[in-house]
Amino acid sequence: MEMFSYLMATGISTGALYALVALGLVVVYKATSVVNFAHGEMFMLGGFLAFTFHVMLGWQYMVSLVLAVIGSFVLGIGVDRVAFRPLMQRQTLVSVLLCMVGLSFFLKGVARHLWGGKGDYLTFPPLVSPEPMQFGGIMIMSQQLVVLIACGIVMVIFMLFFKLTRAGRFMQATADNPKAAKLVGLRVDRVYMMTFGVGAAVAGAAGVLMAPLTLLYPDMGFMLFIKGFAAAVLGGLTSIPGALIGGFLIGIIEQLAAGYWHTGLQEVAAFIIIMIVMIFRPTGLLGGSRRRKV
Amino acid sequence: MGIVKRSVMGLSAVALGAALFSGSALADGHQTQGISDNEIRIGAFGPFGGPVYLYGKLVMNGVEAVFDAVNESGGVHGRKLTLVREDDNCKPEGSIAAVKKLAYSEKVFAIVGGACSNATLASVPELEKSGIPMIINSAVADAISTPVKKNIYTTQLTSSIESRAQLNYALEKGAKKIAVVRMTDAWAMARYNPLIAYAKEKGVKFIADLELQIDAPDATPQALKLKAAGADAVIFILYAKPAAVMMRDALKLGFNPEWVGQTAINDFVAFQKQVGIPGALKNFATITATAHQPTDPEMKPWADRLKKLFPNDELSVFNLNGIGSAQVIVEALGNVGRDLTRDKFLAAMGNIKNFESDAYAGAITCDHPRSHQCNQTPGWLALRDGKITRLD
Amino acid sequence: MQFLLGKRTFLIVLFGALLLMPSLANEYHIFIANLVMLYIILSLGLNMLIGFAGQLAFANAAMYGIGAYGAGLLMKHFAWPYWAAAPGGMLIAMLAGTILALPALRMSGIYLALTTLAFAQFVWWTMTHWTSVTFGAGGFIPPPIDFSPIPVSQEIGIYYLTWGAAILLYLVAKNTMASSIGRAFVAIRDGEVAAESLGINLFRYKALAFAISGFYAGTAGALYGGMLGFVGPESFDLLQMILHKAAVVIGGLGSIIGSVIGGVLLTISVEITKELKWSIEMAFGGLLMLFVLFQPTGLVTFIKRWVPGWREHLQYLPEREAQRSIDVEASIEDGEVSSTDRSVQERQL
Repeated sequence: MEMFSYLMATGISTGALYALVALGLVVVYKATSVVNFAHGEMFMLGGFLAFTFHVMLGWQYMVSLVLAVIGSFVLGIGVDRVAFRPLMQRQTLVSVLLCMVGLSFFLKGVARHLWGGKGDYLTFPPLVSPEPMQFGGIMIMSQQLVVLIACGIVMVIFMLFFKLTRAGRFMQATADNPKAAKLVGLRVDRVYMMTFGVGAAVAGAAGVLMAPLTLLYPDMGFMLFIKGFAAAVLGGLTSIPGALIGGFLIGIIEQLAAGYWHTGLQEVAAFIIIMIVMIFRPTGLLGGSRRRKV
Repeated sequence: MGIVKRSVMGLSAVALGAALFSGSALADGHQTQGISDNEIRIGAFGPFGGPVYLYGKLVMNGVEAVFDAVNESGGVHGRKLTLVREDDNCKPEGSIAAVKKLAYSEKVFAIVGGACSNATLASVPELEKSGIPMIINSAVADAISTPVKKNIYTTQLTSSIESRAQLNYALEKGAKKIAVVRMTDAWAMARYNPLIAYAKEKGVKFIADLELQIDAPDATPQALKLKAAGADAVIFILYAKPAAVMMRDALKLGFNPEWVGQTAINDFVAFQKQVGIPGALKNFATITATAHQPTDPEMKPWADRLKKLFPNDELSVFNLNGIGSAQVIVEALGNVGRDLTRDKFLAAMGNIKNFESDAYAGAITCDHPRSHQCNQTPGWLALRDGKITRLD
Repeated sequence: MQFLLGKRTFLIVLFGALLLMPSLANEYHIFIANLVMLYIILSLGLNMLIGFAGQLAFANAAMYGIGAYGAGLLMKHFAWPYWAAAPGGMLIAMLAGTILALPALRMSGIYLALTTLAFAQFVWWTMTHWTSVTFGAGGFIPPPIDFSPIPVSQEIGIYYLTWGAAILLYLVAKNTMASSIGRAFVAIRDGEVAAESLGINLFRYKALAFAISGFYAGTAGALYGGMLGFVGPESFDLLQMILHKAAVVIGGLGSIIGSVIGGVLLTISVEITKELKWSIEMAFGGLLMLFVLFQPTGLVTFIKRWVPGWREHLQYLPEREAQRSIDVEASIEDGEVSSTDRSVQERQL
């Protein structure tokens, strides 16, 4: 039982991170029908930006966190401007996707160039004392608890943003029915820009939160992208609650498979899940009904 | 189409004939390739990018620091040293291409480098065919330098040396239930296989044999399994990052046996930060190929020189590996004298005995023709009273 | 004029130069020329799948690897000679490719892309973990290849074998795409439902597209293993996949001669990147983006506009782009047919 509770605890906290990444992916997909291949790099750069502000420049943690999230937001807008907007009129999905793939590699190279000379994987000081603490009979890292709470806060902020602010409601409307949105006079391209920005900001926040747990390195983006995508697909690419549930599930499944079966599965669990979901239930657990393609 | 067809056939005949007669170029007429009156060109290959660029680019930076210092005082017998770098992307096709380019296009005198085990291993046939002297300074797979090949030497500790040292350390500490946590890439396999072979020799059976990925953010399942097995010593075949994650998650469970590292984990300061829990390294010891930590005062001149050449860099262990190997090369070049040829250089390398570099933990002795593995001295590091101490 | 600058001349000059390489150039250049031919083969296969049949797949590098591993392992484990093991590897890759046709039936666009990506990662994981068969992460050295009674070394022998294969596969690709198969592919790419209503069996042709690209990649893989003398998993990773995509995009999607151009240019670009000591990630990421943004139909369209003699069957005209739709999802809501595709929306509004 001890093993199970440990695995669950870790699964839930890493799952929260996957959920955040998946959230960003789903938000962008719902609005634009595009999966942002460079999403993982938003996550990675958010972490590196926080490192730059907090560790290299010595600024306060909360300040660095906020600045890093703003930075990611700007980066997201950049992605929209560079990769999405020019292509959305004329090009096919192939082109948009390829452009984003190219962007993701480009950003990875940039990160390596800027921060790579420092040596081994970069450490980010934890927000709270790193001593593990007792929690209902098992030990967890206080940082994991912080991550969980922070993820929760981000999710709540996000929900409120969607429900209560004008921008959020515009985004929802455009996602539901772009044609109608345009008809009622919404500036759809502005909304897309916001969407990319918000999606990237969420990913950046996840990156900052994850940094103390897992150290920063330029290739971390791709791994999180794949896991985030697995989570989004599991939950249903068009469902926001699905993304959250998917994230937690992936985190838990990874841990349980590695713990009970074979430690080598930790790496490949996400891929197997993607394939299984795609073959048997492509819309995921909570996704919408299948649409007939014409 | 007639003329086209005929010309194609004609060309084919000519080409086939030429191919049958063209031997693969050279091998011996190039004793003094890469040497001019005032310059010796030395090539280097390794990864510039990707997750293992530390073993390529940073090591090369160290080599250049030594070349810079040597050139400042007039070079080797009046010849300045120039480093020609090639990126091998840590892939077999990359290193084969790099060796070919350095040997046949750039026409360098010798090559120093080789970081990724697979990639370097794949390039060995090419190295042998071209006859170009190769000094390995990063790659650890034994198969690269064993059995002895005329033109290949290594100044880095090889995986079998380290793996044996790890097991010996655990046994010396009196451990009865030894576990292994390892990555699954080529680097790790090159260490794991000799470890298993040596364990068999010693009659040791591992109580747990677990995999951990290089980029795993979490090692709770592994920690739980180790704890359940009651291991009293754990051998790490891991890079620093996954090792840090492993230790952190084990400590979280209150599980703290003897942890046995190797040269991939020897930046103590960074490692302590990565684990994050104070006092975590109490039971940790690791192998070092280098005598000093980058922050030691003895290393300051090198730190300064490196900063001068590469303003974005801070001296790290990877640079030190480059520095050590470059000093060995300069020593051998110096021993030959002004009348320099490849064969003489290789002979000088083979004769290096008890050479003390600024970087390596032990003396460098190349025991030609018995062995071309010139570095047989693993140093051991641990934290004692908060200070990094050499155990040997 | 047409003859001098046309497609045919280009091909003759290219393959003629490649033929003469081993007698004229140094070993390094021969190695690069060999890579050029391999990338030509890879681009041809991938282009038929993505450019002609419109199936967005990310598994080409995995097929490449399966071909190399297949041929090498048949030689290593079962002592097959190369002339049997290489086709064996090709067939295994072709089979693996065909398996991917199954998910391709059920989904398209981003879903297919990421499923094939997951499959590719899974193949990579198998290469690294199935140690008893694939020798794991350390890779393996296949037995040397003997070309006797022809007195050539392994290196030269593989070079000429690749040369012959490249020419043969180019001709096959050209003729297949000019036939009814090619027309069926394009019909599927341009509108699956319409194609089906024309009587084109989706499953058969999608399976064929995947099988062909698997076969091409597998052939390149079997030759690659022979060229390097070493087979290891790191050669077949995501970066490799990006290079294949870049080759197809730079040359021109949906153009056979474009694939040849793309293969040549890609190899040259990689060399230039290495020469300039630029980061290959930044260079190719950037290159891919630039081409997609500014010349998405590849260099070949540029050439076609200005140089006579480059016409192709089913050439991929830029005007056609605007008419194609992004993964059109039509839904029937409240009795009204609406669509989420922007280009359709533009026309509707």
